[in-house]
Amino acid sequence: MLLQVLLTVAAILFCIGIYGVISRRNAVGVLLSLELMANAVNLNLISFAMFNENGAVGQAFTLFAIALTVAEVVVGLALVVLLYRTRHNALLELASDLKR
Amino acid sequence: MSPLQLGLIAVFTPLVVATLLVVIRPLRHTGKPAAGLSILGAFASLGASVMLMVQSLGAHPVDVIHEVRWLPVAGETLATIGVQLDGISIPMMLVVSLVATCVQVFSFEYMNTETNEDFGRYFTWQSLFLFTMQGLVIAPNILQLFICWELVGLCSYLLIGFYWKKHSAGRAALKAFWITKFADIGLLVGLIAQYSVTETFGWDPATVTALSAAGMINVVAALYFFAVMGKSAQFPLHIWLPDAMEGPTPVSALLHAATMVAAGVFLIVRAFPIFIAAEQAMPVISVIGGVTAIAAACIAVVQTDIKKVLAYSTCSQLGYMVAALGAGSLMGGYFHLTTHAFFKALLFLASGSIIHAVHSNEMADMGGLFKKMKVTGTVYIIGSLALAGLPFFSGFYSKDLILETLFESAQHNPIFWVPFIACMVTAGLTAYYMGRVIILVFFGELGEKSSHAHEHGFAMTAPIVFLAIPALFAGLGGGQLAHLYGVHDFHFAVVHFTPVGIAASTLAFGGFAAAYAIHGLGMAGGLVNSLTPVGDFIRSAPIDRSWLFVYRSILSAGAQALGWFDRYVIDGAINAFGASLINTGERMRNMQTGRVNDYMHAVLMGILVMAAFSQVWLRLGA
Amino acid sequence: MITPMLAGILFLSWLLIFCAIKVATTKNLVHSVFWLAGVLLLMAAVFVILGAPFLAGIQVVLYTGGVITLMLFGIMLTQRKPDTQVAMDAENRGPALATAVGMLLVLLTAIWGTPELATMTPSPQMVGASEVGKIFLSTQLLAFEVLSLLLLAAMIGTIVLVRKGDH
Repeated sequence: MLLQVLLTVAAILFCIGIYGVISRRNAVGVLLSLELMANAVNLNLISFAMFNENGAVGQAFTLFAIALTVAEVVVGLALVVLLYRTRHNALLELASDLKR
Repeated sequence: MSPLQLGLIAVFTPLVVATLLVVIRPLRHTGKPAAGLSILGAFASLGASVMLMVQSLGAHPVDVIHEVRWLPVAGETLATIGVQLDGISIPMMLVVSLVATCVQVFSFEYMNTETNEDFGRYFTWQSLFLFTMQGLVIAPNILQLFICWELVGLCSYLLIGFYWKKHSAGRAALKAFWITKFADIGLLVGLIAQYSVTETFGWDPATVTALSAAGMINVVAALYFFAVMGKSAQFPLHIWLPDAMEGPTPVSALLHAATMVAAGVFLIVRAFPIFIAAEQAMPVISVIGGVTAIAAACIAVVQTDIKKVLAYSTCSQLGYMVAALGAGSLMGGYFHLTTHAFFKALLFLASGSIIHAVHSNEMADMGGLFKKMKVTGTVYIIGSLALAGLPFFSGFYSKDLILETLFESAQHNPIFWVPFIACMVTAGLTAYYMGRVIILVFFGELGEKSSHAHEHGFAMTAPIVFLAIPALFAGLGGGQLAHLYGVHDFHFAVVHFTPVGIAASTLAFGGFAAAYAIHGLGMAGGLVNSLTPVGDFIRSAPIDRSWLFVYRSILSAGAQALGWFDRYVIDGAINAFGASLINTGERMRNMQTGRVNDYMHAVLMGILVMAAFSQVWLRLGA
Repeated sequence: MITPMLAGILFLSWLLIFCAIKVATTKNLVHSVFWLAGVLLLMAAVFVILGAPFLAGIQVVLYTGGVITLMLFGIMLTQRKPDTQVAMDAENRGPALATAVGMLLVLLTAIWGTPELATMTPSPQMVGASEVGKIFLSTQLLAFEVLSLLLLAAMIGTIVLVRKGDH
């Protein structure tokens, strides 16, 4: 019951993140939603670690995930700055070079 | 030497020569030495053939079949190729090699105005032709015969188109090639039909029995005869032969008078067991032969080109042979083939000599040549008399035999009256047109271009003089030939008088008399004038034009229909497919918005689908 | 059977979900960042309840401290008028909602359709920094070093990306 509640909360956070990622027009907004999704995953990991005899390894794994997320945020923000420099705005639809 | 060795020498010496000349380009381009090599090869072939002939006329006739397995399939042999030396093939080998040797010697001087390259090319093909023709003659089965049959057709194409820079020569070569190929479909289909029924390519009695039992004998014989019609220029497929005169005159003598066109007749002779068993096809064959004889003779009467007269005359004489064979007389057809080869080759070579002297093919440019070219004139007249079948010339014996055979057959089956009457009339016509040629060319006023004509050198006179000997006396060998062919009910007599023979001889004399009266004395001018439109009509080649019409209307219409089908149905389908792809692509392109959100959406939807699928799989599938 | 732990988590869950929805939907980007800070802090609280105080600390320091600051700097660098309410929503709000709800349905099916999850009980233990540190430097050493390499690469990559002058 407890595990299911935790997983459900994580699932809800993850889906809110999905909604934000798809609907945000601003690049920073998309990054924020990505953070939501990453945190939902972290919550999952911690929950399973708590229900495991060897929980310390799960926590270490979560730490790895957090570090990865931070690295991703750093690179993502660098890209946003770059986008702003070339387009003078951070709106994602301006970066539609793939179409051409 | 054993007969087999001699046979192989006769066949393969020309092949060795041809291969050398084809492969070693400098040798071919030397001209005269290449020609000498080719002539040596021809002499070797002739020598071997003569020795074979001598052996088979001796106490123990040669009858050798040596076959090697060819196309082995899963332990069994699809076919064999080899050598068959017997009373049928050996006389033909002798005829072929003898005429070929004479023609090559004659060409040595006749072609001397050509460049060295062309000279070498000419003799390369001559050697190749000799090999393929000998290979055809010794074939022990129809498959090998068919292969060589196509190869002689190729040589014919090459030699007709020898002056390929001349537009008309190229056209004539193509015309000959296509028409004979068209007819060869019959041979190909026929031998496939024969093999599918009997599983052999032979003509032995067992094969014939199997074909008869399957009810295929008439079909197969008719298919083979269709190829004969093309090769031996039978009506209405004869139209390529007059055009083939575009080639050098010695080529006309060898291929289109004596040997290659006779290959069709030889096929009937060789596969005679099959033909004689085809009781329904044979009268048709005979009638076609008779029609060819008279139709070609009628056309020959009005020709103005000295070679065209002989070309139509060849058609006509081939018609004789086919008519005789259709009546069931192997002796008649084959005997005439042999004698005709000699005197027709003689006539062509003599014409070549005249053309070489006058530099024109038109008889109007000639006239009064007898005084300038006594030797040529003499042998030409001998050849003409033999062709007309005057008594005691070689043509007399063979032609009489044909007419008697047809007359005899007509007693049993009235349909044979058609070829008989046609051939009787043709006998008179033959004498008439040959008499006309003799008078126009050798007598009368000296032609415009003939004033500087003179006799040629030894290489050109010797072959024609030599050929005059068999033209005169080959008929006397009828008894021996009958013995060789295995015909035992034929009794040869040097002097014989039958009603048919007397009638034919009378007609021949009448023909000559008419020719002399009309062209020599200028009598019956009114009649000739009134017939001028007829002559003009015949000269305008109505049969050629009808073929052209058929070709245009059927083949071109078919080609256009196919073209339409290709353009609008096949291309249309492909274009529609392509357009639909482009259209789909244009629509799919809109999926690519270039917006990052949409791509992420797509990725997430993909994950959603996979997750949903895994759930469904877990809960329903397992 | 409502244990104190479950009660606490349920309470925090409502707050979490509310903050998360605000993060994804609020019009003002700066507000959105602060709502995210709320989410991260609440998450740290949940971690504490679950017996991972070290991780909770990391969460506060790294995320709420580092990432939020970075985000604010990002906004500061890319918005000409920081207080302008940039049009935040794309026009495809409907499809986005559909996908999100679809994914949620699938996940809930997986979670609540698996009976084994309901019977599992938590192992009552607290995992401190020392234990995690031992794991990093013993069994997971290789992964730890690779991760440091990755962070270095991310740093260099970021510097290269935003460096001025060579565009």
